[in-house]
Amino acid sequence: MTLETMLSLMSEGMIKTCGIFILTLLGAMPLGLIVALLKKSRFIVVRGIVSAYISVMRGTPLMLQLLAWYFGPYYLFRLEIGGWRYPALILGFVLNYAAYFSEIYRGGIESIPVGQYEAAEVLGYTRVQTFIHVVLPQVIKRIMPPVTNEVITLVKDTSLAFSISYVELFSQAKQISSSHTTFMPFVIAGVFYFVANYIVAFIMGRIEKRLDYYK
Amino acid sequence: MILEMKNIQKQFDGLEVLKDISFGVDSGEVVSIIGPSGSGKSTLLRCATFLETIDGGEITYMGKKAAHTNERGEAVYVHARELRQFRSYYGLVFQQFNLFPHYSILRNVIDAPIRVQKRSREDAVSTAMGLLAKMGIADKADAYPFQLSGGQQQRVAIARALAMRPEILFFDEPTSALDPELTGEVLKVIRQLADEKMTMVVVTHEMAFAKAVSNRVIFMDGGVIVEQGDPRDVFENPQEERTKRFLSVFER
Ligand SMILES: Nc1ncnc2c1ncn2[C@@H]1O[C@H](COP(=O)(O)OP(=O)(O)OP(=O)(O)O)[C@@H](O)[C@H]1O
Ligand SMILES: [Mg+2]
Repeated sequence: MTLETMLSLMSEGMIKTCGIFILTLLGAMPLGLIVALLKKSRFIVVRGIVSAYISVMRGTPLMLQLLAWYFGPYYLFRLEIGGWRYPALILGFVLNYAAYFSEIYRGGIESIPVGQYEAAEVLGYTRVQTFIHVVLPQVIKRIMPPVTNEVITLVKDTSLAFSISYVELFSQAKQISSSHTTFMPFVIAGVFYFVANYIVAFIMGRIEKRLDYYK
Repeated sequence: MILEMKNIQKQFDGLEVLKDISFGVDSGEVVSIIGPSGSGKSTLLRCATFLETIDGGEITYMGKKAAHTNERGEAVYVHARELRQFRSYYGLVFQQFNLFPHYSILRNVIDAPIRVQKRSREDAVSTAMGLLAKMGIADKADAYPFQLSGGQQQRVAIARALAMRPEILFFDEPTSALDPELTGEVLKVIRQLADEKMTMVVVTHEMAFAKAVSNRVIFMDGGVIVEQGDPRDVFENPQEERTKRFLSVFER
């Protein structure tokens, strides 16, 4: 098998890996913010549920969560899970990453001095205006480093999709490797993850620079 | 009368911080509030600006009641939306400035007039530039707060408050976070505002300033107003033992 055919075979997996990555970010980043805000809810029940959710998501392996989302409907309710693999995969990733992002957001929100809220309140801003125009921009700047870490972890975590037999880049590399007895697919996959992370770090670095205009 | 506070009571978990405080501020008056640390000066300003809710008493701005005590003895405020209307009557300058670090100096001054008061951008900018010029920092309009000295930041904070065209301006120790050589420039603009008959209430430890600029001095201790009156009377001829003791510390 030439390198070229191998690459063209694996390009499909690369696209699927990118798909998991992008959908997870699109789902988890906003959901994390909602979770972070719910954790500050004045209703103790809501706070309790959110805390439990976050600790389960962070306290158990993502691989186990993916298995649970995929097979759970069958074992619990004997439901047909034919077309369920991809939705379960994305659901598992989004819910897991939303928990991590929410904790990062919460840390960022709590780091904003109370004086910022008070200044805005005295000037007559509503609570929503205060959050969107005063608090959030400062939070985004402060959380860039931990968010970058999380995004880089996600690039690598996409390979966990193999646990529910979703054929993304890593599973594909494994298949080709064993059927053609070559290690090359893993090398290609490794380079791909590395380059992807390089790009992520580059983009996040640019955003951080952009936000460097104030302290 | 611009502000009237009657029988104000405030507790923090059982600790009585304001005990039945009453005072009013007339248009054009400059009132200084002095007193030892922990006497409740900041709490009083925070109650007047609705950053703290009172436990009892009455707060009236421009003849309109914002809070009163009901027949069950609980303090009740007008609705949140109405309360926001009251906020346009006053401004507050904090000890720590509390400028918005992600906004330029100009944006700090125009954002609330545009967003909250729905004024046009041109109107807000021209008001802001006028105020910044008055504060001696027009050349800093495009800078960011971190690039300014504490004294300059505090003058921006004063401009930001004035841009809302308040009837009354509160200051909570506006120079306490500043190096001594920077306090002068901030006190100077406050004095200038006093000359223009801006109504102000200033919590301060600057006795010379209080004496020179204010029409009335209020001495607070232990959550009550111990003595108040013309600054010359209070400073040179205090009637109460506690006032004498407090002032003697500053004369040394
Ligand atoms: N949020 C709060 N929770 C509990 N206690 C508080 C709170 N704010 C103020 N206090 C207490 O209320 C009392 C009065 O505080 P306040 O800040 O009004 O004093 P102050 O006269 O402004 O003092 P200083 O000159 O040091 O600024 C103090 O005993 C303080 O510890
Ligand atoms: Mg104080």
